[in-house]
Amino acid sequence: MNYKAVIIGGSAGSFQIVTRILNSLSSGFPVPVLLCLHRLKHVRSGFVEALSLKANIPVNEPYDKEQLKAGHAYLAPANYHMFLELANRIALSADEPVNHSRPSIDLSFITAANAYRDKLIGIILSGANRDGAFGLKKVADNGGVTIVQDPTESEVKTMPESALQLTKVDYVYSTDQIIKFLQKL
Amino acid sequence: MIELGIVDIREIIRLIKNQYDIDFSTFALTSFKYRLEHIIAKNNLTSPENLYRKLTDHREFFDTFIHQLFVPSTEMFRDPSVWRWLREEYFSNMVNEDLINFKIWLPYCVSGGELYTICILLQELKLLNRVKIIATIFSDTSLEFIRSGEYPLKKIEISVENYTRFQGAGEFNDYYKLEQYAVRRDASLIKNVEFIKDDINFNMAPRNVKLILMRNVMIYFNPTYQENVLYKMHNTLSGSGNLLVGLKELIKQNQNSHNLFETVDINESIYKKKPN
Repeated sequence: MNYKAVIIGGSAGSFQIVTRILNSLSSGFPVPVLLCLHRLKHVRSGFVEALSLKANIPVNEPYDKEQLKAGHAYLAPANYHMFLELANRIALSADEPVNHSRPSIDLSFITAANAYRDKLIGIILSGANRDGAFGLKKVADNGGVTIVQDPTESEVKTMPESALQLTKVDYVYSTDQIIKFLQKL
Repeated sequence: MIELGIVDIREIIRLIKNQYDIDFSTFALTSFKYRLEHIIAKNNLTSPENLYRKLTDHREFFDTFIHQLFVPSTEMFRDPSVWRWLREEYFSNMVNEDLINFKIWLPYCVSGGELYTICILLQELKLLNRVKIIATIFSDTSLEFIRSGEYPLKKIEISVENYTRFQGAGEFNDYYKLEQYAVRRDASLIKNVEFIKDDINFNMAPRNVKLILMRNVMIYFNPTYQENVLYKMHNTLSGSGNLLVGLKELIKQNQNSHNLFETVDINESIYKKKPN
């Protein structure tokens, strides 16, 4: 199967997991990695630097209409929604928060599912609200692969459990299993 | 929420072009689609066909449609460091200058968040009555909303935090009063603002502008139209005028527009017109 992108959503308790995932991917990872993580609106710097520290792939906060590249990770910038536009571009939006969140995981997942259809892998990690559950369902509805972090391992279970309630997902994985899955791509 | 397909969106763009002579094919597709879906839900239209019908048969609806289509600013004093830059690096040098022809233009106002912010900033520097502020709106509904001072309660909390980080000279609650379900901003702040009703071609743009505040506007346009808009902004600015765009809107050096602007502060997205 030729995938075109991986998208990861998370909130409270996901930072360590995302860091472990990014540190385990080798440079030359075959697709772009999109990261939509809840974060403080007013803190602009520090987050992407912390995620980059030991990552082997470049991690950055994209500018509007930036073209996605394989083997790069893109973190939704503070106080913007991150949409996937046609032609492999990011489109940012300052539209109203959804589920009290901007960036909204649902909106990133829905637009990515529309852009990549069955060539998308969607992953929901630990988090403290329901954001992402509806987005992951859209990934499944479009034939993409859906993975949820095992709630028994998640620091905060609400987000993975909400995703599992709404969608019959393909895999419920521990962090190690998520990493193994991605390393095989 | 109803989800629109590409065919539905093309049909809506075509209909608006034919009936109202405005071309929305210049908009970024994903956010445009999302706004249309939001309009269908908000007005209980339940299907794209009902939206076509409403746009065709109810011309008075179009003004509301435009107001709802354009994304309002997120909050007041968004990105406090940008406003601090304006106060400390930009306006502080002008207090003793002759500002009789000093024009500030906001080319895209929907809820007036950025407009009220610049007015508060200038008021605190005692410059508000010495400069000319021009604001472009796209609908009468937006104009009424801005003039009424009304503001959503949920946006006030973050605006207050922003104002604290901006380190304003007053108390933020000097500038609004609480009502039952909303907040009313002090509309006397904008009493000297000149409003221009225009469409997205910016054909009514003023001339010889010193400062353009166009933050998080170009994100809603497609890349081709973004270039086009930058040309218009260049033409609007006076000799060494400044352009402020959103923090994640990059005026790239490899675009055709690279000859138009030079960077003043990349972190705060502040640019300056290169002379013709």
